[in-house]
This record gives sequence, C-alpha cells and structure tokens, in this order.
Amino acid sequence: MRKLSLRLATAVGMTGTLVALAACSSGGGDGGGSSPDGLDAKAKVSITVGDYPTADKPEERAAFDKRVDEFEAANPNITVKPVAETWDAQTFQAKLAGGTLPTVMGVSLTYSHELIANGQVPDMTPYLEELDMVKDLNPLALDKVKDADGKIYAIPTGLFSVGLAYNREIFAKAGLDPDKPPTTWDEVREDAKIIHDKVPGVAGYAQLTTNNTGGWMLTTMTYSKGGAVQDDAGKKAVMGDATVESLQALHDMRWTDDSMGSQFLYDQEAARQSFAAGKIGMILQAPDIYFTIVTQYHFDKTKFGETALPQSNGENGTLTGGTLKLFNVKATPNQLLAATKWIKFYEFDKYYDKDVAIADAKTNDASGSPVGLPSLPPVSDEVNARYLEWIKPYINVPLENFTGYTSSKLPLIPEPVTGTQQTYAALDPVVQKVLTDKNVDIQKTVDDANKTVDGIIAQASR
Amino acid sequence: MTTTTLEVDPDVARQRRRPSGLSRWYRGGGIHAVLFAIPVVLIFLYFSWGPVVRGLVLSLQKTNLVQPAKWVGWSNFEYVLSDPGLGQAALNTAYFALLALVIGFPVPIFLAVLINELRKHDGLYNALAYLPAIIPPVAAILLWKFFYDPAPEGMFNTMLGWIGLGPYPWLNSEAMAMPSIVLYATWAGAGSTAIIYLAALGSVQTELYEAAEIDGAGIWRRVWHITIPQLRGVILVMMLLQLIGTFQIFTEPFLFTGGGPNNATQTILLKIYNYAFVNGDFGAATALSVLLALFLGLLSVVYYFVTKRWSPS
Repeated sequence: MRKLSLRLATAVGMTGTLVALAACSSGGGDGGGSSPDGLDAKAKVSITVGDYPTADKPEERAAFDKRVDEFEAANPNITVKPVAETWDAQTFQAKLAGGTLPTVMGVSLTYSHELIANGQVPDMTPYLEELDMVKDLNPLALDKVKDADGKIYAIPTGLFSVGLAYNREIFAKAGLDPDKPPTTWDEVREDAKIIHDKVPGVAGYAQLTTNNTGGWMLTTMTYSKGGAVQDDAGKKAVMGDATVESLQALHDMRWTDDSMGSQFLYDQEAARQSFAAGKIGMILQAPDIYFTIVTQYHFDKTKFGETALPQSNGENGTLTGGTLKLFNVKATPNQLLAATKWIKFYEFDKYYDKDVAIADAKTNDASGSPVGLPSLPPVSDEVNARYLEWIKPYINVPLENFTGYTSSKLPLIPEPVTGTQQTYAALDPVVQKVLTDKNVDIQKTVDDANKTVDGIIAQASR
Repeated sequence: MTTTTLEVDPDVARQRRRPSGLSRWYRGGGIHAVLFAIPVVLIFLYFSWGPVVRGLVLSLQKTNLVQPAKWVGWSNFEYVLSDPGLGQAALNTAYFALLALVIGFPVPIFLAVLINELRKHDGLYNALAYLPAIIPPVAAILLWKFFYDPAPEGMFNTMLGWIGLGPYPWLNSEAMAMPSIVLYATWAGAGSTAIIYLAALGSVQTELYEAAEIDGAGIWRRVWHITIPQLRGVILVMMLLQLIGTFQIFTEPFLFTGGGPNNATQTILLKIYNYAFVNGDFGAATALSVLLALFLGLLSVVYYFVTKRWSPS
C-alpha cells in the first residue's frame, strides 16, 4: 500500500508540475502599452542594450562598460544590462516576433517602413521630445523613421550611401591611376577590362548577388542610371530601362570582357573576404567595408580606396541606408525613456561634449578600430564638422583615399518602400541569371521581376 | 479443513470472481496508469501536436506575432500558390530527390556490402566510412565550398586539370549547382546510412552464402540473389526516409548557394525559410509548410501501397 501511494504521489506530482508549466507559458503576455501614461522619469528601471562588443574585443568591451558605469552614475535609477545581441537578417524576424530583443539595439534602416506599418515599433515621439532630441537629429535621416502623421518611431544612426570601393594596389599594377577612379559606368567597364588583362587572377569588377545583396546592389545601379525599382509610394514595381541597362552592363563585363572573375555567388561577407585577399579590383560598397577588412582581415589600409557611385545618363544619385536604433515594442514607457536617455548618452554626447568625443576616439584608436571613417552623420552637418575638428588628432583612416566619396554631391535616394528585403530577395536571381546565363533575355527577366515585385507589394499591403 | 474452503459464502465468491469493471480496473492500478500517462500524453500533445495545430491556424492568419493576428482565409495559400518561383522550387526539390536517389541511394548499400565482405579491419573501414557524418554540416559545407572554387586554382578544378578537364564553374552554373550539392550530400550522408545497412547485413543468414559459394556463385551473384533480397525491408524503409528527407532539403542549398544561381537550387524548404525569417511573413511560410506536409503524407501513403507487394512481411 505504501508503494501504491508513492506511485500515486509521483504521478500526481508530475501532472501537477506539467499543468503549472503550461500555465506559466501562457501567462505574461502584457508588457505594457506604447502609451507613455504613468511615465515616471525617477522610477527605478532596468533596460537591456544590444551591440555590446564581443569578448574578443576586450578594449572595446571595457570602454563600453566604462560608459555604462558613467551612465548609471549620472542616472542612479536606471540599471543598464549590455547584451551582445546584434542585428542579423537571418534571425531578426524570429527574435522580433518572439519579443526576445533587447530594449534597444541597432537594426538595418531597411526595415523602418515595414516595422512602422506593422506596428512592431513603439511611438518614440514623446520620449524624444521629453529629452529635447528632435532638433539634434539629421532631418534627412529622421524622415525615414517617421510615419505619415510625423510621429517618430526610431533613432537613425550610422548612415551611409553606397559608393565604389577599389583596391589601389591593383589599380597601380594595372597601370591605372589610383587617384582617378572611374566616375561613370563606361569607365568602370574599361578599367575592369584593363585590370583583367594586366593583373592575372583578379576580378576587375565584382558584384554582390546572394542573401538579398544582389537586389540591393541592382537597386543601387538602377538609381545610378536614373531609374527606380518601386514608385515613390511603394505601390508598384517600375523597373525599366535603367535596370535593363544595369544588367546589360554586367552582362557585357561578364560575357564580352570576362572581367568579373569566376565567382558569381557573393554575399557581403564573402565579397569582403575576397576584396581583402586582393582578388577584387572594384566593387560597390559603402565605406563601412573599411571597418571589416581592416579590423577583421588586416587589409593594408593604404591600399584601400573609396569613391562616389559611378553614374550614367547624367548625375542621378546613390542609395542610402543606415542603422536605426530599434526600441522594443513590448518595453514599458519608463524603460523606453531610460533607453532613449542611454542612446542620447552613448551615441550623441560625443557630438556635443568635447571630452567624450576625445575619449571615444582614443579608445577606438587604441583598439585598432577606425576613427574618422566617412559616413553620413546622424546629426546636422555643422555639429558633425565641429566633432571632426575635436577628434582630428586621432583620425587613423587615410581620408585622402576617400576624396572621391567625401567630395561627392550626389543626391541621396532612399531604398524601395514596400517589402524592401523581399524585393531585394526577388532581384537576387535576376542578377545571378545575367552572370551565369550567357543567352539571358534581359528585357523579359526585368518584366518578370516587375511582376514578382508587384506580387510582393500586394501581399505586404494586405 | 478441506470442507471450509469449499463452503465459502456464495455472494463473496461471486464478488471475487466477477468484481465490477471499474473497481477491478482501480485495484489493478488503472488510476496510476492514467496518472502516469497524463504527463506523457500532455507533453506529447503540447510539444508534438501543439506546433502542428498552431501551424495550421497560422496559415490562415496574417500576423507578425506582435500585433493581434488577423484571419485572412485562404489568402496565404493563394499567395504561395501564385508565387512565380513556386513551380521552380518544386521542380528543383523533385530534381534533388531524383538525383539523390540515382546517385546517393546505391552508394551506402554498396559501401555496406563492401565493408561486410572485408575479412580484416572492417571496424576501421566502418569508422572511415562514417567519418563524414561526424563533421558538423556547416563546417563540412564551408570546406566543400573551397573544393568547389570555380577559379582554375580551385581544388577540384586543379585535380581535374591534371587529367585535362575543366575548369568547371560548379556552384556558379545553373546546370551544375544541383548535382554539386547532391555530390556533397551523398558524401555526407552515405556513412550513416551504410551503418544501418551493415547492421541489417549482420542478420543475413550466413548458411545461404555458404550454400551459394558451394554452388559456385561469385560475389556479385551472392550480393544480387542473397544480400539485396534479404535487405529488402530495410531498403524500402530507408528509401522512404530518404525521399522524405530529400524533400526537406534545406541546409545544403542555404549554405552553398542561398538558392542561386538564378533559383537553380531554390527548394521548397528554403522558400518556407525565406517567407518566415527573411520576409517575416509567417502566414505564407506556414501555408507552404502545410502544403508540403500534405504532399509528403500523400507520398507516404502512395509509397506504402505501391511497395506493399514487395515488402517481405
């Protein structure tokens, strides 16, 4: 009988535990709304912040920790917990849906329209107004994180525009002038051919083609030739002559000149590796390629060159993108305010406080990270110029190799509005087809792509 | 003494002989059985069938899992069925399954028979054959990407160059990308399948071989007339598992080519993944998953009836 009751007790216990577990999992969905009612700037609050440097970068991590300590000292009611979470296109959607993202972290600006339209980001206007930050932000970038009513949903930082990265050493070997990189697509083709003929084993020009980067760069090329992928409102696919010409240019380099090497399945990472290994003469890249190849692959920085995006059919413009500080839609108002304070402290203080600017530059220089890498500032141009003046002694990037890029006055064109990443994904195979199928019918491929993108727009705007 | 046992009260005797069903069930430990079973059944329902049911529900909704879900009827199904890339993804998946069947299926049987025929060091060869299976797929695929380098100095191209072939574009060609992936998948999967065949070979009656040998049968006739028929049951199951497995191919095209070039290696599962995790369209992803599950269920039923005649039991 004792044995029997023991069995009974065990069984009841197991069932009970399971029921309790199930109850736990279904509870706790309500994490507070996006309304700042009950906002209390003095209340004790704890936030998690992403983009914490990984353990293999001890100096950067120590610097980050120091900033956290300073912030907590200045805001005793806020506890900041840094996490090494960074944006990754492959896992982002799942983490966003699962609500496991930190209170704030950096995410590609491509998502802004989608996140706003889907209600996956909180309205940050009250917090930005509370901290009087709106006037400090770069108005051009701010437009990208607003909805039709002018509400602001994120803080844009780390802005860039696409340019042409090139290997100065390869240019010199091919007898080209590294200080005169190509400015038109015809020149790109000529130079690529010369590099192919004179420097064996090197692709004169390489193109990104996989993991949505193919569509991203086809969009950039289309812009540079005066075209567009979607109309301004993002209601219709409008790829036309400019896209056909872009693909034709790639087709000519690939099949007529054979100046694009043998690898046609490049994503960002693989292309940067090949560039750092000296196998690529020219490739469309934003200046942030410099960070990766110099810090990760120890590419000789004097060999690096970056110039403005080549154009044809006149001066048309280049594609811009960047990072947005994404706030967790499930965070409480007090957390959102605390996170906004943190971003103001971490990202923007250096533009307004000389000591912070210099300390930041010193740490980055000491850890081998680039200081003064050209980008579009998240603040107004005047504020940025003052900041650059402060950190001038610590700039370790050879800015003279970026003159073509930094002196450019090309118009900045935003990315396609609706289903941006899906649109890019749908255009990957288009670029791949041109590079792997000699007999491709380019016009028909573009017509088909328009239909596919129209389908994506219809599905996204249900 | 003996009479007392015979003269038991008849009512009691009836009760002992035929206790009521419920109490007999209770006394026999029925309640404990149920209590013990409940956790298992609940776990099974919650973790095994829960996602299946949730998937079915999701396929009829539009949701980003942050805002409340919206019922959209069959529109997710309409969307995935009208996706211009679906036909090609289905064809690619079928093509992969076919290639894997033609190239990949006989290899492990051959390997197993070969190792089984070895008199010495068969354990060593066994381990060697199994080795690729213990390399994590991601590492192995990155390695094979080097082998498949399309440049003339790429590893395979260099080796083929010695006999005057190539250089081949491998993954960079629409025609060669899928066979290249199958080649890798065969290398990676043959070892573990061969182990299963080897185990089955152990149960083949050795007298049959001895008898055949006495009758003068060579090795090929022994394999064909004894080994293969004796393995029939295992072969049929393995073929079904492989078919289902190949229809769910994901890792290889995802890591090798991302579905390229020009969708030549875009598979159904890769499409599902892209719907869900690149596009954040969980409705479309589950709709296509449901369709795939239905198809695989149907395939299994058809397979069962077609092969029923051949099966040994």
